[in-house]
Amino acid sequence: MRGLNHRQRAAAIVLAAVAFVFITLDVAGTGLSGAHSGARGLLGSLYRGTDAVVGPVRRFVAAVPDVGSDRSRIAALAAQNAHLRQQLAAGSADAATLGRLNRLQLAADATGRRIMPARVIAYGPGEGFDWTATIDAGSSDGVVAGQTVTDGDGLVGRILHADADTSVVLLAADPGSGVGVRDGRNGQLGVATGAGSAGFSLSPLDPRADLKVGDELQSGPAGQSTYVAGLPVGTITSVHVSADGTTVATVKPATSPTAIDVVGVILAAGVTGAPNTAISPEAAPR
Amino acid sequence: MTARRAVAALAAILTALLLQATLVAPLTLPVPVSLPAVLVAVVALAAGPGTAIPFGFVTGLVADLGSEHPAGALALCWLVLGVCCGLLADLVLAGRRAALVAGIGAAVSSAAAAVLLGILGASGDGTVAIVRDAVPAAVGDVVLALLVTPVVRGMLGSNSLRRPTDRHPAGRVPRSRPRVQAGPHG
Repeated sequence: MRGLNHRQRAAAIVLAAVAFVFITLDVAGTGLSGAHSGARGLLGSLYRGTDAVVGPVRRFVAAVPDVGSDRSRIAALAAQNAHLRQQLAAGSADAATLGRLNRLQLAADATGRRIMPARVIAYGPGEGFDWTATIDAGSSDGVVAGQTVTDGDGLVGRILHADADTSVVLLAADPGSGVGVRDGRNGQLGVATGAGSAGFSLSPLDPRADLKVGDELQSGPAGQSTYVAGLPVGTITSVHVSADGTTVATVKPATSPTAIDVVGVILAAGVTGAPNTAISPEAAPR
Repeated sequence: MTARRAVAALAAILTALLLQATLVAPLTLPVPVSLPAVLVAVVALAAGPGTAIPFGFVTGLVADLGSEHPAGALALCWLVLGVCCGLLADLVLAGRRAALVAGIGAAVSSAAAAVLLGILGASGDGTVAIVRDAVPAAVGDVVLALLVTPVVRGMLGSNSLRRPTDRHPAGRVPRSRPRVQAGPHG
């Protein structure tokens, strides 16, 4: 095994020093936000094109592990596969999810909000531990940072950045993020901290709150949370009471953070989209 | 580096990053299987550290800038990955051994990146998750390396992308090609 020669050693040291400078600048929050935004915008555009090619392959492969679980499931998947192929050919979104979004839209109409449908086209380009996803709706569709994202079943996350045609969603399961929640059974408030693929860890505001396995949690309270209130967050699967009486619960998420496809961005009232038209109760399938 | 090699390297980097984001990551989450890291390791094992050092750095930097974590983290990790695998280039003979080394190297690099991002406060993945995901990530990376290695070696051995001179001390060309094994000086 030969070592590095003089030029290679110098190049490695210089590039490592440059990397440290980048890290320092970015952690300090100065100077690199423009570079991040430019790279995200460029990659986001490329994601859209790439997803058009590899998206069907990904969805097919993602469905493979479920094949063989039971006959009815196989039959359902076969029917779903045929249906998906038909939809992919037409370039349309998943009708079942559109139906869920439509139901959510109807509910959202009561609060004067609208939903922009979008498809997840990519996750992080590096390692996959950013707990972010890129969707094919951006600021030109009325999406802005901070808006809540749902898949019709529950809370997915919130918009972190919105470029012209794509947006980055910070998944609620991100281990660094917290969601204000309300226990649907007794109204107790708490904070559900993301735990990656494990779901959430719930810390009630009242340390001695009465939490029970099976309790369903919703985002909230209204006006006090980053997220739109009333979206299902998950179900309590276990409750632990520590020696000092503090209660902590583990929560199974209402929607799997690693299995999202078609989602809806809950827009503020009065925002109109350009290329993608937000679902309206009249246009969407019943 | 010739213009052709530079263009081919950029194309390979973009292809790996796009496939990672749109295909590999969605199918393997939460296990941190990384096609770009595997590509860096395979290129390092096939072409030596002279090529792998800039290749690893640029690949990591583009991935960093397109992500939410601080730029430079993956650039540093994949630079080190390129150096380490490049130094092992002389020892790895067979294609499967090269793929095994590349996959394990990429998995170690991913774990190191997770630790570095944890220190920087940019990733909430704890030590338990890093240890738990290490073996599945290594298996996934080895599988990817088995697919990527013949493609990379074939490209680096093609006439249009071969190194213009072979006098570089660490210069390497694919060992699997008989005419190269004989060596230009042999």
